[in-house]
Amino acid sequence: MRLQRIYAAMFVASFQQAAQYRVQAVLWLLMAVVRPVVFLAAWSAAANAQGGSIGGYTVGDFAAYYVCLTLVSQLTMAWDAYDFEWEVRQGRLAPKLLRPLHPVHYTVVENIVYKVTTLPALLPALVLIAWTFQAHFQTQPWQLVVFVPSVVAAAALRFVFGWFIASFAFWTTRIHAIMHLYDRVVFLLAGQVAPLSLLPAPLALLSYALPFGYMLWAPAEILRGGMSFEQAMLTLGAQLVWLVLSWLAYVVVWRLGLRQFSAVGA
Amino acid sequence: MAPPPIRVRKLSKVFKVHEREEGLLPTLRSLFARRFTEIAAVKDVDFDLAEGEIVGFLGPNGAGKTTTLKMLSGLLFPTHGEATVLGHIPWKRDRELLQAITLVMGNRSQLIWDIPAADSMRVLQEIFQLPEDRYRRSLDNLTELLELEPLLHKPVRNLSLGERMKVEFAAALIHEPRVLFLDEPTIGLDVTMQSRIRRFVAEYNQRTGATILLTSHYMDDVVALCKRVIVIHHGQLLFDGALTGLAERMAPYKLIRVSFAADVPVAHLEQYGEPIQREDGRVTLRVDRRLAPDRTALLVRDFGEKVVDLTLEDPPIEEVIEGVFARAEVLA
Repeated sequence: MRLQRIYAAMFVASFQQAAQYRVQAVLWLLMAVVRPVVFLAAWSAAANAQGGSIGGYTVGDFAAYYVCLTLVSQLTMAWDAYDFEWEVRQGRLAPKLLRPLHPVHYTVVENIVYKVTTLPALLPALVLIAWTFQAHFQTQPWQLVVFVPSVVAAAALRFVFGWFIASFAFWTTRIHAIMHLYDRVVFLLAGQVAPLSLLPAPLALLSYALPFGYMLWAPAEILRGGMSFEQAMLTLGAQLVWLVLSWLAYVVVWRLGLRQFSAVGA
Repeated sequence: MAPPPIRVRKLSKVFKVHEREEGLLPTLRSLFARRFTEIAAVKDVDFDLAEGEIVGFLGPNGAGKTTTLKMLSGLLFPTHGEATVLGHIPWKRDRELLQAITLVMGNRSQLIWDIPAADSMRVLQEIFQLPEDRYRRSLDNLTELLELEPLLHKPVRNLSLGERMKVEFAAALIHEPRVLFLDEPTIGLDVTMQSRIRRFVAEYNQRTGATILLTSHYMDDVVALCKRVIVIHHGQLLFDGALTGLAERMAPYKLIRVSFAADVPVAHLEQYGEPIQREDGRVTLRVDRRLAPDRTALLVRDFGEKVVDLTLEDPPIEEVIEGVFARAEVLA
């Protein structure tokens, strides 16, 4: 009840804030679309050169995959580690720590508001890409249903994982380097370069074992209709396991970090 | 008897500092192997604050004032020692405690820049669980005391520094805290705004009986608000007592300021005290604190009707403090 009221008030403030930076939101959105389109174009060209398909993916499958991936990417986006580093360095964390509310809550609201406000602009762009590349979706109704918990779990996983990394700012103050490494790993192992099954065998195995694929690839592949029911359930299970593990890791690192916090610049 | 709202025993903070390199590899490497140097920012500090007291916390830059305030407001864990604020250990950050204290840092912002303060206040109302009537009353009081009315509905980024500081004050006090930690609350403000903030702090203290620990580089703040001061230097407590006592203990001299009807050669005055200033027939003499009453009497006897005005004063508090720090520096 208490949290509900706080969230309601924060939503109002956060919407007002978001409303002031419409151009910025559009630019971020453009960046979110450009990268997958580049990969989609490359894979389409490659598939066409190989007689229409690679590893079971036709040009239409690639298009569907990247359209789904872009949507998932936007819906699960988490940038908290960058913001958190800035807050720690600028001393803006201190006032938040002085209030009887965990700092995570502010970013939950910002995160949701960003997604809600940018989605209406993203959807037409995705429809346009799907049409241009003649995306071929094999989605069945049950996959649409399973997609919902899967994308929520993916968003939570990325969010918590981002906070896990962000908490290292208590020690290092600067965590851009770690964040860049994390971004590259996600880029490679989360299904942005290619659907995981198309990666070389060792990399594919690695990416099924690590959490990153469950942040993007898993819900995208479910939404595209590329998984059987068993595969989807197994994937959902893996998402939940990684979510719980990341949460525990985050809680431990956060608590240790607070003890270590030197309140620089605050 | 209830325990004092602020109680500090042997409070110490040692910072481990390491030299950091830039770049990806050194950062990763530094996660596993680092070289530290230790800096003792606060060493075995003891003090209590009584209910409703306003105490000035003085010391030069880097003395450990802010570190102490951060420990008392729960932002920092101490290396060792104890403290309780309103009966709670601050660094455990109990919700009950956080709802009853505040830390105001001059030049620091907690408001959301892009929206009017009134909207940030609504968020704070919910975070601090203030019922509507209490929130209204608190905001009305703050609006009146700080003359906020025209400021609350402008985006915070459009306010001037002084205006923003007033709104920051309001945001920091909207939950009517019983303990206030004020760290340089008037820094960077013009004289009018400084005195406005000072008046506000005094009024808030009178109205609510809040306990206040205040650091400031402006001695005017301290003189206007604090009967008691705690002086800290290199992390150690140098003095804790009445502001007037500080001069008595720390400055071994007093100042006789005397105006003469006719010109009196300075040489004639040297037997009464050391002339340190002379301006339009007005002379300031520095005398040993113990000899001051006798010398004053002698001066009046010897010059009689030539004396138009005479005062015996403690040296300005800035000078006293500077003297204290200078001596501590020599001893350190």
